Amino acid sequence: MSSLFTLRRWTRIAPAAALLVAGCDMLEFSPNDYRLPEEFTNLTQKNIAKLQAKPLAATDTLRFVFTGDSQQFYDEAEDLVTSVNQQPGISFMLVAGDISDFGLAREMRWVDEKLRKLTVPYLTVIGNHDLVGNGREAYQHIFGALDYSFVYGDTKFTLLDTNGREYNFNGQIPNLNWLRPQLANLDGARRQVVISHVPPTNDDFDPALRMPYVQALREAPGLVFEMNGHNHQSTIGQPFNDGVTYVNSDAFSERRYMVVTVWGDREFRIKQVTF
Amino acid sequence: MKTLLLAGLLFATFAAHAAAPPDTIATTPAGARQWFRPQHLVLQTGGGLGMVAGGAGYSFLKDRLETDILIGYVPERYAGSTLTLASLKVMYSPFHLRVAEQVQVVPFTIGGYFSYTHGTLNDELKGQYSKDYYWFSTDTRYGALVGGRVTYLAAPVAATGLPRKLSLYYELGSNDLYIATYLNNRNGGIGVGQLLTLALGVKADL
Repeated sequence: MSSLFTLRRWTRIAPAAALLVAGCDMLEFSPNDYRLPEEFTNLTQKNIAKLQAKPLAATDTLRFVFTGDSQQFYDEAEDLVTSVNQQPGISFMLVAGDISDFGLAREMRWVDEKLRKLTVPYLTVIGNHDLVGNGREAYQHIFGALDYSFVYGDTKFTLLDTNGREYNFNGQIPNLNWLRPQLANLDGARRQVVISHVPPTNDDFDPALRMPYVQALREAPGLVFEMNGHNHQSTIGQPFNDGVTYVNSDAFSERRYMVVTVWGDREFRIKQVTF
Repeated sequence: MKTLLLAGLLFATFAAHAAAPPDTIATTPAGARQWFRPQHLVLQTGGGLGMVAGGAGYSFLKDRLETDILIGYVPERYAGSTLTLASLKVMYSPFHLRVAEQVQVVPFTIGGYFSYTHGTLNDELKGQYSKDYYWFSTDTRYGALVGGRVTYLAAPVAATGLPRKLSLYYELGSNDLYIATYLNNRNGGIGVGQLLTLALGVKADL
């Protein structure tokens, strides 16, 4: 009798409790408020852990998807996920910054809600739009470090903040003192890839650090290429004529991404896929 | 600390009213008030206007039109830096239903707000960007809201006939950036529910 009473009481309380949880989620203190459920925090570390849980044999070819600038393109994000999920043999997806448009936590959550439907993990690097307002703090809370690296298969990936204009060209972004030792030590990998948002050819890259950055890449052992977003236009070239290849992604809005295959010492192949 | 200050400010306004000397009331006709004296005080949480936001406001058109000025506060641990928000709300409530002797329900309120946030980290320094580099403002927000409230009607102040009412209200709102995002994704990429913010508040008429 009493258990039935308890059950009845709970069935009455449950909708109210659900409403309360939804309500707390909606009680936004400011658009800059980055309180989110735990599942939307620390995503970089969680996604690297997911990736490492499916190790690639050291001698294997590595294939991944490269895209950028998801900012405000949620309709396109759904179609991109559907398309990427049909690609065979890919290990993960890289998004070259500008995850959000306004540097707001809600936007970063909206993007994650789309991209978590990928069958492979995804990783991001911070873009200039993610640094607007309090975006730097929101990004760190939701995704993680602004500069980080990891090794997968036989490749080391180094991702870093190159959005110099957002720091008013303070001479510290990109952080070359962090980057140089990363480039010098492959952590046991055979080759390496560097990913950042603003390319060194762009006006939003700190002009005082442009040539030191380019030189550091030129001297990096086993560098396959450097990859960027920001331009919303896909290009592959060697703009500094120094043997270093720079790859730029389309934005989600261009409805095209790259399937990138790397093997050997510095071999690569890039296929463009329209969705 | 700022929360305390805010609470203090609100209390001081109440206290000043309560402590008005008897001769002041004697020279003012019953029911009249100085034009600048706020007609109500509000304290709320959420709605994008602060973890706590308090302020004062005026009513017009038999209380159908109201305007509130709020100062809000968000602590650093929830937003990355301590934020202070100054907001102006304008609301229209066409229906006031007296559901009981001392209870009034305002089922539908529609309104808009403007807010300015002070204290964001990357705040568009002079010369940092070329004109229209970002099409939106980092700190200035416009928004829309709908809501409702329940009011407890206490007996008016005997000496002056001024009302004493206490209301609980809620507001569902959204801001220019969320609405722009929705409008740019018309194929269902973003749902209306994802744009909404909730505010809960208390309003005292005096």
